[in-house]
Amino acid sequence: MEHLISPVLLYGACAIGALGVLVALPRERLTPAVFGAILLAGAFGALVLGLGFAAPDQVPNFHFYIFSLIALLASLRVISHPRPIYSALYFILTILAACGLYLILSAEFLAFALIIVYAGAILITYLFVIMLATEGPTADQVEALNEYDRVAREPVLAAGAGFIVLAALTTLLVGGSTGLKADPRLMPGDTRLAVMPQKVNDSLRAAGLIKGDEGVIHIEKERRWGITPRRDGNGTLYVADKNGLGASTRLIPQAQWPADLRLSNTEGVAFSLIDGHPGAIEIAGVILLMAMLGAVVLARKKVELDEAAKAQAQRHARLDEPDVAGVTR
Amino acid sequence: MIGGTLVTLLAQGPIPADMGGVTLAHYLVVSAVMFVLGLVGFMVRRNLIIMFLCTELMFQAAGIALIAFSRFHMNHTGQTFVIFVLTVAAAEAAMALALVVLLFRRKETLDGAAWRELKG
Repeated sequence: MEHLISPVLLYGACAIGALGVLVALPRERLTPAVFGAILLAGAFGALVLGLGFAAPDQVPNFHFYIFSLIALLASLRVISHPRPIYSALYFILTILAACGLYLILSAEFLAFALIIVYAGAILITYLFVIMLATEGPTADQVEALNEYDRVAREPVLAAGAGFIVLAALTTLLVGGSTGLKADPRLMPGDTRLAVMPQKVNDSLRAAGLIKGDEGVIHIEKERRWGITPRRDGNGTLYVADKNGLGASTRLIPQAQWPADLRLSNTEGVAFSLIDGHPGAIEIAGVILLMAMLGAVVLARKKVELDEAAKAQAQRHARLDEPDVAGVTR
Repeated sequence: MIGGTLVTLLAQGPIPADMGGVTLAHYLVVSAVMFVLGLVGFMVRRNLIIMFLCTELMFQAAGIALIAFSRFHMNHTGQTFVIFVLTVAAAEAAMALALVVLLFRRKETLDGAAWRELKG
């Protein structure tokens, strides 16, 4: 098996990373987490540099370094910060950095969906619960930390076990072939354009490729629109006027198509979601409904009323009815 | 410079933006390190809320791997899967936080070790 980076460097970096996490974890005697962060960053840098030397023609651009370093350091702070509120805030930073990675991977829809749903909704729920379920500071100890936040549970064992898992994972990852670059000629699912004639018409009209009453034709026999995009870029597109197929029918090769005539990321995800996984959407809906019911049932506080309180509540209920109150007055 | 790159990334060119020279392995390494950080955090921290936050960290790492594979294979199914991961994470957060509130009401502490007797 051909290794992308040497095993010595790989396992050395894993060990240094484990040491960094160990140093950064909260202990009885507070050690500055900065040292741990530096160690972890060094280990990660060694790993990535090793990958870069293995394939010099595929040197990563520096946005990847920035976003991934921010994401990893912020996630280190998530697990090492003694105050839960700060942990949650660092998690938001992790998500924002991950969204940067998503943008580099041209997954725009999910990047912004993640910011809205994760950083906007889920993490705010976490913050609410952290504030709800924390003992308030007493007058003499304003800055007190809970014992269970200050002291980690089995830090040595956890760091060791975690980075053995990491070593195993990365051995599998980088032990493969060196040609891991995606083929940029591949176009994601542009055959879907055949079911979006309106988008194709608008795009062509904006580019001035069709005029007047011309339009993309519907080929009756094949029950589809006259668009055949091809992965190798040799697709065609049939255009006709309102009389349908005939002498006026002409053909636009894929090389002349306007640049915006391709499936956008959002459209691609939408087709994949709605067309490809309709059953999974239903199941996800049921899961969310059940989670909502479960949360309501779990967090509900049962209020026990004694007899006097019940009678008073009934009296209030009767007075609140408008017709009764109107007649008695 | 970053703004310019974002514009080129978001532009709907005939061919999607190149992976920027970064190979799939780079993203998988980032994903693996983040996953392991979440794993270590789940084992180490004793605060129930932080433990659940660490599971979210692991979800996030899985999401990065899924998106990287989706880009590598030029297939949107990976991104669709991240949407379902989001759904599961939201459901998990709702249930877990309700549970945490319930447990906090019982014992006035968030220490996971306070519920040691549940081990059975």
